[in-house]
Amino acid sequence: MSDTKKPFMNTTRRQALGLLALGASGVVMTGLPGFSRAFAQGTKDAKGQLTVGFSQEPTVFNPHMPHIEVDEGIHFSIFDPLFYVDEKGAFVAALAAEVPTVENGGISADGLSWKVKLRNDVKWHDGTPFTAEDVKFTLELLVDPNFRSWRKTGHEFVRELTVVSPTEITWKMEKPFAPYPSILASTFITPKHALGSAADRNTAPYNNAPIGTGPFKWKERVAGDYILLEANKDYFGAGPHIETLIYKYVPDLNVLYTQFKTGDIDVVGLQWITPDHYDEAKALEGKVVTVVPGSTVESFTLNMERPQFKDPKVRKALYHAIDKQSIIDALYYGLPTPTESYVPQQSFYYNPDLPKHEYSMEKAKALLDDAGWMPGADGIRAKDGVKLAFTCSTTAGNHIREQVQQYMQQSFKDLGIEMTISNLPPAVMWGDYWMLSKFDSVIVGLDFLTGPDPDTSDFFRSTSSAAKGGAGQNTWQFANKEVDDLLAKGGSLFVPEERKAAYFKIQEIMRAELPFLPLFQYATVRGHKQGVENVVFNINTRIDTWNVGSWTVS
Amino acid sequence: MLSYLLNRLWQSLILLVLVSTIGFAVLNLAPGGPLSQFALTPGMTREALDRIAEQMGLNRPLPIQYLDWAWRLLQGDWGTSYRDQRPVLEIISGHLFATLLLMGSSTLISILVGTWIGIKGATKRYSLFDYTATIGAMVALSIPTFWFGLVAIYVFALKLKWLPAGSMYTIGDQSFSDYAIHLIMPSLVLALVNIAVWSRYMRTATLDVINQDFVRTARAKGLAPRRVLMKHVVGNALLPMITLAGLQLPTILGGALVTETVFTWPGMGRLFLDSLGYHDYPVVMGLLMFSAILVLAGSLIADLLVALVDPRIRLG
Amino acid sequence: MSAATLPSSAASARPRWWQNRTIRRFARHKLAVIGLVMIVIMIFACVVGPHLLPYDELYIDLRARFAPPLTGSHIFGTDPLGRDIAARLFNAGRISLLVGFFAMVLSTLIGTVIGVVAGYYGGRVGAVLMRFVDAFLSFPSIFLLLALAAFVKPSPFMITVIIAVTSWMEIARLVEAEVRSLRERDFVLAARMLGLPNGWIMFRELLPNAVGPIIVAATLTVARAILLEAYISFLGYGIQPPLPSWGNMLNGAQQYLDKAPWLAIVPGVAITLAVTSFNFIGDGLRDALDARSDLN
Repeated sequence: MSDTKKPFMNTTRRQALGLLALGASGVVMTGLPGFSRAFAQGTKDAKGQLTVGFSQEPTVFNPHMPHIEVDEGIHFSIFDPLFYVDEKGAFVAALAAEVPTVENGGISADGLSWKVKLRNDVKWHDGTPFTAEDVKFTLELLVDPNFRSWRKTGHEFVRELTVVSPTEITWKMEKPFAPYPSILASTFITPKHALGSAADRNTAPYNNAPIGTGPFKWKERVAGDYILLEANKDYFGAGPHIETLIYKYVPDLNVLYTQFKTGDIDVVGLQWITPDHYDEAKALEGKVVTVVPGSTVESFTLNMERPQFKDPKVRKALYHAIDKQSIIDALYYGLPTPTESYVPQQSFYYNPDLPKHEYSMEKAKALLDDAGWMPGADGIRAKDGVKLAFTCSTTAGNHIREQVQQYMQQSFKDLGIEMTISNLPPAVMWGDYWMLSKFDSVIVGLDFLTGPDPDTSDFFRSTSSAAKGGAGQNTWQFANKEVDDLLAKGGSLFVPEERKAAYFKIQEIMRAELPFLPLFQYATVRGHKQGVENVVFNINTRIDTWNVGSWTVS
Repeated sequence: MLSYLLNRLWQSLILLVLVSTIGFAVLNLAPGGPLSQFALTPGMTREALDRIAEQMGLNRPLPIQYLDWAWRLLQGDWGTSYRDQRPVLEIISGHLFATLLLMGSSTLISILVGTWIGIKGATKRYSLFDYTATIGAMVALSIPTFWFGLVAIYVFALKLKWLPAGSMYTIGDQSFSDYAIHLIMPSLVLALVNIAVWSRYMRTATLDVINQDFVRTARAKGLAPRRVLMKHVVGNALLPMITLAGLQLPTILGGALVTETVFTWPGMGRLFLDSLGYHDYPVVMGLLMFSAILVLAGSLIADLLVALVDPRIRLG
Repeated sequence: MSAATLPSSAASARPRWWQNRTIRRFARHKLAVIGLVMIVIMIFACVVGPHLLPYDELYIDLRARFAPPLTGSHIFGTDPLGRDIAARLFNAGRISLLVGFFAMVLSTLIGTVIGVVAGYYGGRVGAVLMRFVDAFLSFPSIFLLLALAAFVKPSPFMITVIIAVTSWMEIARLVEAEVRSLRERDFVLAARMLGLPNGWIMFRELLPNAVGPIIVAATLTVARAILLEAYISFLGYGIQPPLPSWGNMLNGAQQYLDKAPWLAIVPGVAITLAVTSFNFIGDGLRDALDARSDLN
């Protein structure tokens, strides 16, 4: 790590050279036996059938088009990136022969020149060899103005893409962009020969019958029901070990769990087992059920531009009035972990020394009295003509959250605060209502970090509020000069230990300012039947099947 | 006859235009949109969402979007789903089988049982059977279908464990008996209401016929009562049922919607709810048009059939 | 219907003429009487019940969650937040019955006005209006309901309006047919010759003839509206918590079906009872208002 420090001193943009360094360690790990996504050549022993249940339906199979996390379950089965992030946060080579780093010459010391060496033994599912042309095609497709590209971030800085040979590609970056390796780690390579020839790549037939290099091949899809994949016998890695892989769409979590119990489903995927079933599930015979931390943090989000919430004492009082422990213990069956930060507790950047939340109606009341919010004739507190009344919204149909809302509503009411519940269907909730900060308050679970990178400029920078003309997702309309400076500073540092200080401080400020009241970090109950091995949880990816190629079933 | 047909078709066309404008307006005036589902993705920004909206043509004025949609529809292009980029017609037809299977079997059950109850009730008027059937029908019409479904799941799936709680089949075992076992509960639950409707109508229709002169004549001729019933009464009583059947066609979608939700049945009702939730307008519009066409075709076919069967009616 | 076959010019004498017979016929209809009694009991329970129970319908007690029926003084048990289900049920009944009642009033108003106007004027006006009726009938009502519910604030008032907007068509059709069949009758022609305004003829001369069928349809509409409220609230688009309604008490009950079946059973029975009662009453009214039923 230390030897890559100096050349980056002058760069201005956020630099997470630590990632590049981590990548280097990943290269070392590829050779280790028993690794979760093994890529060593081996004999194919694919046999049997495995059914994974998802409670949402995967519908987008072109990984570069707008999609939701459940779609990535399919992407990880069919495609490979150049390299990916494993469960320890290290980069591991996939289609690339090695993870490009400064040490091995893959990335220039200034971060501007990239050279990626590729494997020469990879074939697409239709038999066509994989070459550097496919990588070039993919990186160009992502910024093609006629293509409904999922995300341009990072890719838009790529210039002078050059295919040196079928196994080598080089490019220049317009500016150094340290998060790029983590972005590339979730960029699946798509075939030029299959997708490139389509007149309109947005509606190409390819998008519904994808061809990849991954451990599984597309076989068939019955819309609204299931997707069936079969083993890619020519896979360049060690897997796959399963002959037939089925992704079943079960829209109801109770039915999903019931089908897991009856054995219709072998692995419970996305949305997993509901907390109320945990006690029963862990006692099930022949099933392995574990509680796994998620990267999502649930918060009670406030719109800082609302006059009620401008007073910091009101925000603190609200936080005191939330009976976090009862919510977690009774409504979530004690599974999630209470938290004071937006950073997942497994992260290197998590600040464990933030002040602990205290549930105290007395303190809440004292704070409000001090600040001059006095109950009016209707029992609702008010100050300077502003009533302490607001709406609270979340996605309609999320029953546990609706219960949390009602529980909070009662506590708030006891304090003389009127909270009205106004839940909305998802498409309304997360549209302009959320993005343009039209809400008073919202209960939401957010992944603040993209992969392992601690940068949260899109969420916290004062210029990131769409309601104020910004481009990010600072829907709190939070504006704090010190945080702005710290974000800039954290982005210009690159040694994890040095960055840490800046992000610890940001967490401290967010905890003190409370634009959102942190409730807890998610924990999910995952389950698979006994005999399914290598189902490993990875906090750096959004989906369970990130290493499905190395799963085995007995 | 021909001018009648043309007139009916013309009216149907106007209706379709009305239905589509009302539907389009209701859907698109609602806040939110198909891109909202991506908002909570890590790293998603307003900028990226705006760009995708622009590319998908979602930023155009509504009348333009409507005309574009309508013009394509006239050329046989039902549009493409926002969710999975597949043609709408393909998606609808993919869900059609499940719905037809469910509706078909439940309709069959309800016609058979309903007709039987209706005739028996009419011939044995004011008997205990008739009273029970009448009260039963009223209660059946009053039970919320989804709730009845829940109770059925509780009793037969969770407690007795006789029947599966949902889905259309077990993957890997798509045999006839597997379908059949999954079909029992939803089709019976759905049939309950329809049995009530059919038995009520059949009872009234039979009563209307039973007292008419030609039935008395037939009896006077000395024909066996059973023969009179089967040949003269039932035949004539079934005639108005044709109209009813035609009018029942549209309930295929509406009626199945809630049942499909409760039993996680992969049919069109579920598709509608999923698509509505994600604001997948092309699919929702497609389903609305599809059901509107069913309604119009249903009533037209019913009228034509009645005219064909009953010589007393002349269309014109 | 009775008045339709015997058009009387003595409008003022008409009500008294059929009222008594109707009531007598209605009273003979046992089911209708049972229905009426049940509704009266339910309304009474919903009005008085909450005051008799020791619990507030909104009071949350997490220690008492999922208490089965007959635990202590929780006669119907408690819900996932430990609230008393009986208290919620009676308060929910107020909401659900009121929504049902006002949706009926509103849809009857809309349907009657459109039906009378379409039937009386006929021709182009009538055709246009009736095409609108057909267009609305071409949507499965639950589709229209959900689509509308997705973009309004789901307050009880708006839910009432939405239900009314999707249930007025049958009454419109019924009234239109009735008025159309009467508008060339002598008493209407006479009224026109006397120079009475159209509004008067429509609503004072023609409409009273359709009152019977309208009353029947309106009663059935209450039943339908209660069901529709239950449907959309069950799907999460209806009345929002913590305000209880019979429909939203069922919302979420499916999740706890195995563990706490009473969550689903109690409100479901209430809905079924209320809807059945209204249907019984409607049936009784139909017989009572139909002159032909005397012949049998």
